[in-house]
Amino acid sequence: MGDMSWKDFLTQAKQFLDISQQLGDSWMLQEKDSNEPNTFLKFSQKIKSKSGELINVEYHVVYSVSYQVPMLFFQAHRSDGSLLDIDATWHCFMPESKAGDLYQILTQMDHPVLFKPFMALHPCRTAEVLKQFGQPSNNQVLTFISLYGPQVQLNLQNAYGLSSQSSYT
Amino acid sequence: MSSEQETILQFAPWESFVSPTFWHKLAELKLDHDRLSDTKRSITGHYTNRNANGCLLEVDYTAYNRSSQPPKFSHSASGTIYNKNTIEEFKALDKLQLLADEGKELLADMCSGRVLADPSLLTRFFVLSFADLKCHSYYYWFAFPCPLTPTLKQQGVVQKLRDLPNANRYVEALKTLPSESQNFFILYANAEQQVYEARKLSTLAEGEVEHYYFGFTDPSEYEHPAWLMRNYAAFLLQQCPSFVGKTLRFLGLRYNQQMQMDDSRIWQVTQTEACDLKQSGEVKYVGWELNKNAKMGPRLAQMRDSMDPAKLAENSVNLNLKLMKWRLVPDLNLEVIAQTKCLLFGAGTLGCAVARNLLSWGFKHITLLDNGKVGFSNPVRQNLYTHADAVAGNRMKATTAAERLREINPSAETAGHVLEIPMPGHTIGESLFAQTEEHLLVIEQQVRDHDVIFLLTDSRESRWLPTLLGAANQKVVINAALGFDSYLVMRHGSTREEAGDAGQEIEGLKCIRGSQLGCYFCNDVTAPGNSLKDRTLDQQCTVTRPGVSNIAASYAVELLVALLQHPRRELAPAYYAQSARGKSEEEAAGKVPEGLLGILPHSIRGMLCNYENILPATQKFAQCIACSSAVLEAYRKEGHAFLFKTFETAKYLEDLTGISEFKRLNSEIIDFDDEEFDMSEEDED
Repeated sequence: MGDMSWKDFLTQAKQFLDISQQLGDSWMLQEKDSNEPNTFLKFSQKIKSKSGELINVEYHVVYSVSYQVPMLFFQAHRSDGSLLDIDATWHCFMPESKAGDLYQILTQMDHPVLFKPFMALHPCRTAEVLKQFGQPSNNQVLTFISLYGPQVQLNLQNAYGLSSQSSYT
Repeated sequence: MSSEQETILQFAPWESFVSPTFWHKLAELKLDHDRLSDTKRSITGHYTNRNANGCLLEVDYTAYNRSSQPPKFSHSASGTIYNKNTIEEFKALDKLQLLADEGKELLADMCSGRVLADPSLLTRFFVLSFADLKCHSYYYWFAFPCPLTPTLKQQGVVQKLRDLPNANRYVEALKTLPSESQNFFILYANAEQQVYEARKLSTLAEGEVEHYYFGFTDPSEYEHPAWLMRNYAAFLLQQCPSFVGKTLRFLGLRYNQQMQMDDSRIWQVTQTEACDLKQSGEVKYVGWELNKNAKMGPRLAQMRDSMDPAKLAENSVNLNLKLMKWRLVPDLNLEVIAQTKCLLFGAGTLGCAVARNLLSWGFKHITLLDNGKVGFSNPVRQNLYTHADAVAGNRMKATTAAERLREINPSAETAGHVLEIPMPGHTIGESLFAQTEEHLLVIEQQVRDHDVIFLLTDSRESRWLPTLLGAANQKVVINAALGFDSYLVMRHGSTREEAGDAGQEIEGLKCIRGSQLGCYFCNDVTAPGNSLKDRTLDQQCTVTRPGVSNIAASYAVELLVALLQHPRRELAPAYYAQSARGKSEEEAAGKVPEGLLGILPHSIRGMLCNYENILPATQKFAQCIACSSAVLEAYRKEGHAFLFKTFETAKYLEDLTGISEFKRLNSEIIDFDDEEFDMSEEDED
């Protein structure tokens, strides 16, 4: 338990998209083709960096074939279109205290669908973390996003939790 | 209404927000389609009033599509891009004229009634740009043209939609309006007749103004309405001249994350002066965006990091090192590594392996010196060469290796020089004199130009000149030598004189200051002769267990990195256990002070046969034939003349340093214990 098959991921990602649409949120499903793992969830938002600069962050929830878990990729850019490199990303998201989990998981990897370098939260412990949710959750993709997203300022509305309970239990 | 309550209404200016994909697509269009043409091109932007940040007008790659749907919760703005061919044209273009030309088209749309049918024409913008595709730099300047009309006076305070009486009736009416009509619309509110309706802008009727709220999608997060209301008001007053002097109510529609519109704002304004925009010759325009320094001027987007493959590679290469720094060794100084210039004597098995390890650590400047060609036996062990190099028959190791290093990391600055390293006791014939002189000059120059010298050649005597030059120029010298199944890696003692701590006194340990440590030759009591001379054929080429060179090369680079991270660098002291073999020695060894990356030994001698390393530290030898003051002094005074004397006969060095005398004496007294010195024979790759 904790890891999931590609089919599970796809089903749950689509469920998640349904919930998002019901809640009037702007998540999208990006389908390159029908092969594993070429479909992923996409969301973007503006956040203020520590220096007060407005930046756009695009988040992708992609299936990791080797770890068999959802994985969070993201890329941030400034108003002139320039990307935040790993240093800038690190400074933007890293909490002041070094105790944060982010120190262990924020890295740069090649995006498995787009084949471009993206910032990523490393999936090595995702299965373990998901497993700790004793009662298997109704939608592990949703659980994953709500657990890992806040590390990089991706916060889901509380309504997602209610919605997944009412619709899928 | 009293005059105190009247203030001039101000607007939140547009802030351009460009996606990297907008530049990617522009580059593609310029290269594949427009080429030298610089005709203007229609584009579309978009803006949102859902959970708005700032007052953004966004563009991405879809901007260039003929018909593009705005993203969810967004509305389209129609624009134009003027992409110039040169920076000079970009600079020289008459900005006021361009703004006026664009403004006139906006006016034409307003006056002709086209706006009534398609209100998105009010959100007109344009971009003046120059794409430097070689450097991946984009100069750009957004403008949002707007005719300069008489000011709008705000009456009373700004209200929120939720504070209006019957607010829920308004909300219900607004909910019936299809989202694509929400950019500009009319909210008709007639409390007496209990009619609340959201209508399209095209239903505008001049006489109903007291029941109208002029609604618009308001992308501003500020107290002030977005800039686009300025064009909206100008249009309404042009369309309905009777509005002059009347109170007009504007509704800036704003959604929160949950799509509630409670925070929408209402402004009551009047324009008291009449103004006919049809007299367009007299109209002035505003709308150039300020740059990041809040000045009138263009912006520059540096896209090299994401668009230049070499830069992408460079950033990825550094990633591992940065993670090491962030996660494990926060004080690791990666800058010093990137700036340290390394000179490698020898581009064979050791040279190739050392160079690759240097790349892994993020060293950028690597120069190799070697006189050999790539031979058929080389590629399997010398990891920068291939069989094809050997087949070619003329590939020189030094230059080939330098080229390969750049293929591996394009941001590395590498060079290779093909030359002979003159050696003591290797007589130079008349015919080679000029060439040797020339090579010597190159070698001396290279040593001066680098910070670190690696000795990686395959004979003992070829290490003599670089050892001397390293000492004479106060460089860091790292030496690696191989035996069949043994290796020696050491740092030479420094000739740099600098005050500083002499090292800690620790019980059971002997401390040798960095300036007192020996060099490769300090432990020897003979000058290097021709060590290849008396060897059997199999000893002349590299006969070592293959792992030995990789181990030694790795230690050599790691030793350098540890040294560079030490606050005293090459002056860092080395320690060795003083007591006899046994438990106490192990205990003492555990007390050696550690730097950032652990202890910093003087030398590492290891054996593959028992998988053991020992870490001896030895003193400088006052009569050393390579680094003693007598030798350095002679080189300084006589220069090449001195060097040529040593090349003629190694005996010269022995006499100069007094070693001849010493040797005669010693050979009678000293009887080496085989067990103690079983690893003293390493020589060479």
